[in-house]
Amino acid sequence: MEKRFMKGCEAIAEAAVRGGCRFFAGYPITPQNEIPEYLSWRLPEVGGAFVQGESEVASINMVYGAAATGKRALTSSSGPGISLKAEGISYLASAQLPAVIVNISRGGPGLGSIQPAQSDYLQATKALGHGGFRAMVFAPATLQEAVDLTYNAWDYAERYRNPVMILMDGCLGAIMEEVELPEMKNSNPEDIEDWCLDRIGDRTDSHMITPILPEPALELLNKGKAMQYKMWEMLDTKVEEFMLEDAEYVVVAYGIAARVAKEAILRLREEGYKVGMVRPITLYPFPKASLNNLDYTKVKGVIDIEMTIPAQMREDIELQVKDRCPVHEYGRSGGMLLDDEGVYEAIAEIVKGGE
Amino acid sequence: MKQSFVFSGSGGQGIMSAGIMLAYAAIDEAKHATYLPEYGPEQRGGSAKCTVIISDGDIISPLTKKCDNLICMNEQAYRKFSDDLKPGGLLVLNSSRIKNEEVRDDVRVLSIPVDDIALELGNVKVANIVLIGALIGATDIVSKDVFVKSLEEKFKSKKPEILEMNINALNKGIELAK
Repeated sequence: MEKRFMKGCEAIAEAAVRGGCRFFAGYPITPQNEIPEYLSWRLPEVGGAFVQGESEVASINMVYGAAATGKRALTSSSGPGISLKAEGISYLASAQLPAVIVNISRGGPGLGSIQPAQSDYLQATKALGHGGFRAMVFAPATLQEAVDLTYNAWDYAERYRNPVMILMDGCLGAIMEEVELPEMKNSNPEDIEDWCLDRIGDRTDSHMITPILPEPALELLNKGKAMQYKMWEMLDTKVEEFMLEDAEYVVVAYGIAARVAKEAILRLREEGYKVGMVRPITLYPFPKASLNNLDYTKVKGVIDIEMTIPAQMREDIELQVKDRCPVHEYGRSGGMLLDDEGVYEAIAEIVKGGE
Repeated sequence: MKQSFVFSGSGGQGIMSAGIMLAYAAIDEAKHATYLPEYGPEQRGGSAKCTVIISDGDIISPLTKKCDNLICMNEQAYRKFSDDLKPGGLLVLNSSRIKNEEVRDDVRVLSIPVDDIALELGNVKVANIVLIGALIGATDIVSKDVFVKSLEEKFKSKKPEILEMNINALNKGIELAK
């Protein structure tokens, strides 16, 4: 294992290369430009291709093409750029192509702010594009976790032949911390001969990848995908449960918000308050069981903390809490950052007020 | 022990590189560090700020409202961020540019004309190294030797005079802070 002090965006880019990524297309937008900047020199070093597309739409469609030939393909952007890629992501889902999309999110809505925010939860988890499909959404909280999740993202994308999203806010994209980088993976994925256009294998029939299907076939695809989404929930849900055993108040937070919240929780614990946390690592599939199975004879409140206003994860939380205790929310938004004092005070007010 | 540092000034003053260099030196000493830059769309002249946290243990939150050490390279930065320094914290001011400000009296103040010193040494660009010298002198956050090693690494492809000027800047900062 190799240790390096790296910037979030660069750590993701290096993890992608080591995870087998050999194609990138994207269009510049703050705060994710360090990803394409890094890959522009790094991908050619390993025989990969880097393209700065003429637009987001062109870039996502180049990713579609590369993925169709079995190349591990990546694109990255931030909020407004992801919106532009939405059509292409839906086409990837419909053509059952594996690809990884990184969103280093910033303040919204609209052009919003170039400063960090967690304002794309709903877009990422409910509708990355039109037509009713889902993608796995990984939300790392540390750069090490970002490296590990990105490194393995194509394994999920290929196993399920579906796009995968890495959702990280601009803070984690810009921050530098120490990471351990894994070994270089084989960039020629196995078990893709039966669909990919580049490798024939034993195949003799002609082959086509298309996002256009006759109605019965399209319905069949959707039924298959519906089953697959259930399977993700059972097999691939990732969550960190922190100090839940005796918790009377449970914070739910992901990514950077979870790090700030954890510090506040430790401070409240020192003061004798029983606070714990559920930190979704996969936002989709959402870690339903962690919230559904809480002991509601003990839990007096659930507190959703996000760097966006209004909180976007709240409905997912409420569906599991099922009115068994109150759900509160606290956040900052528009590019204004959460901080340790603000988050501590918000949680403390609820916890101490409930006495 | 955990210490937070906020470097503030305007784009072009070496704020970001000062923060990164300090964080790198901490990593070289086998400590934990996070570096978080914050800036606007401008490259030069706009507000620039970065937060460095150095700790012997894991760093949970890289975002902190109040810092232990605040470094201000100009008046605008001082006005914007002076409330973010904890009472009793260390305030390092670039007195080449901060002349007419009323300074908080509940903190430890270190006023150093880093721009003037850097110019005397040969280039205003080493102002941020004078600053780091002052921080090392005042806090012992990283050892001088480790930082000299990172300077040697950083400037190994440049002319030896450049390294020398940077080391002189570092020494001057340490001397003035002690």
